[in-house]
Amino acid sequence: MAAPCRKMASRSFSRLLCYFSSTAVGSGACRRFSVTPIDRATPLGSTAADRATSPWSLMAAVCLQRLPVISADCSPIEQRFKQMLQQMELEKSLVSDHELRLLEDAEKMSRRQAADYDSDEEDRGDQEIMMTQDLEDTWEQRLKNFHPAPRVRADVDEDLSSAQRCLADSLVLLAEQQVGAEKLWLLPQAAWQEGETLRQTAERALDSVTAAGVKATFLGNAPCGVYKYKLPKAARTEGSVGRKVFFFKAILADGAPGSAPTAPLLWVKKSELQEYLKPAYMTKVDRFILNL
Amino acid sequence: LQVTFPQQASILNLSLCRATPSIQHPMWSTASINERQYRDMPTHGIGRWRHLLPKQASKKKKVRNQVKDLVSATDTAYGTLNVKVSGYDMTVVEHYSQYIHNLCNRLNIKVAESYALPTKSTEVLLMQEQGNKTFVDAVLKTHQRVVQLSSLNASLCPVFMDVILKNQPEGVQLSVQEHTEADYLLRFKARPELDGLIAQIYQ
Repeated sequence: MAAPCRKMASRSFSRLLCYFSSTAVGSGACRRFSVTPIDRATPLGSTAADRATSPWSLMAAVCLQRLPVISADCSPIEQRFKQMLQQMELEKSLVSDHELRLLEDAEKMSRRQAADYDSDEEDRGDQEIMMTQDLEDTWEQRLKNFHPAPRVRADVDEDLSSAQRCLADSLVLLAEQQVGAEKLWLLPQAAWQEGETLRQTAERALDSVTAAGVKATFLGNAPCGVYKYKLPKAARTEGSVGRKVFFFKAILADGAPGSAPTAPLLWVKKSELQEYLKPAYMTKVDRFILNL
Repeated sequence: LQVTFPQQASILNLSLCRATPSIQHPMWSTASINERQYRDMPTHGIGRWRHLLPKQASKKKKVRNQVKDLVSATDTAYGTLNVKVSGYDMTVVEHYSQYIHNLCNRLNIKVAESYALPTKSTEVLLMQEQGNKTFVDAVLKTHQRVVQLSSLNASLCPVFMDVILKNQPEGVQLSVQEHTEADYLLRFKARPELDGLIAQIYQ
């Protein structure tokens, strides 16, 4: 293979410090991330004499994914099973401290209401300021005042260019780029240049297509897929027969997109990918996009 | 001739010796472990069977809690990594850490250790509606579980990370970091008496 593969094998590894968290819907549509690359060595430059000239030119593309923010809805069988398990757990469980206090208070009340009640007999401990039932009532009131954000918003789901759509699924970023003579929808890609690693090429591809504020965490230095295609006969020359595209996976970190993106962008689910990608490209890309 | 004579004598002796046993005991021509060694009783050692079993490794007491060496990163693999799972709900945290451990076993990633860090309790104090005093509203306990991987192949890393991220449950924080000496020392309890004595020595 050409140079970049050799470079990837010879350079020492960058160590990542990744921190991912799954928070509630209210705090935003993306997970919080922090990435600190501890040691990223500069790639060793290989001399031009070593590299055998190959007719394939190299490109790197980035598969940027926005992970699901909320859990997916359960299927009917899952719902029934969940209910059954909750019922079993409730029946097997022991009474909690709060429930014990409720029972004691109820017992005290019934004793006080009895005809032959003598308040001096009662062991007067510290009288609680608040009865347990009142505590429960205040909690109920607070729960009623709490309004959670809606799980599914139909209008946002329709908007394909928004990163907040379909919070229960994972979305992939597609960009419309000029390839040869035509504009195609594909994963953002860029051509590999001398002196940089393929991962840096993928990062460059992402920066060129999206706005400046978008932060992404690359999952590793190794590509997850490859797609090669030959140029149409008219465009083929001695030096270039076709192109090889290497795909790198990245996860969208919490970044509020400030300015408008340079190229038209789409956030699509895996099921919707078929409508936008070419069939040969789709079979290769399909293999590494997980639909969990 | 004088040199050879004792040899011939010995050979003769041997043949003489061998001849007599072969007449009396035809089975003694081939001596093997299956032969019964008996002195007087023909049935001596008739029930011996333990010599027929394959050799077992000697049972030594396994030294528990061995300090495992830190694996350093190479060109194609990461070093010792700590996958830390933390959250408020213990069942969810434990189940997720078990899921990660099983996934590593399935993908043939070597798991060095799998342990729990001490639970941290957080008290939530709320201001009272009437008055300036705060009261204890709730006690939240943060549970942490760590799965330590000894070496993760670099080509497998993106796939592994993608799978565990996509299966991350709600309310659980995931953190992947390198394992350091400081992380190892965090697991030990502080010893106040020892620290006090050391401070006394150095005063």
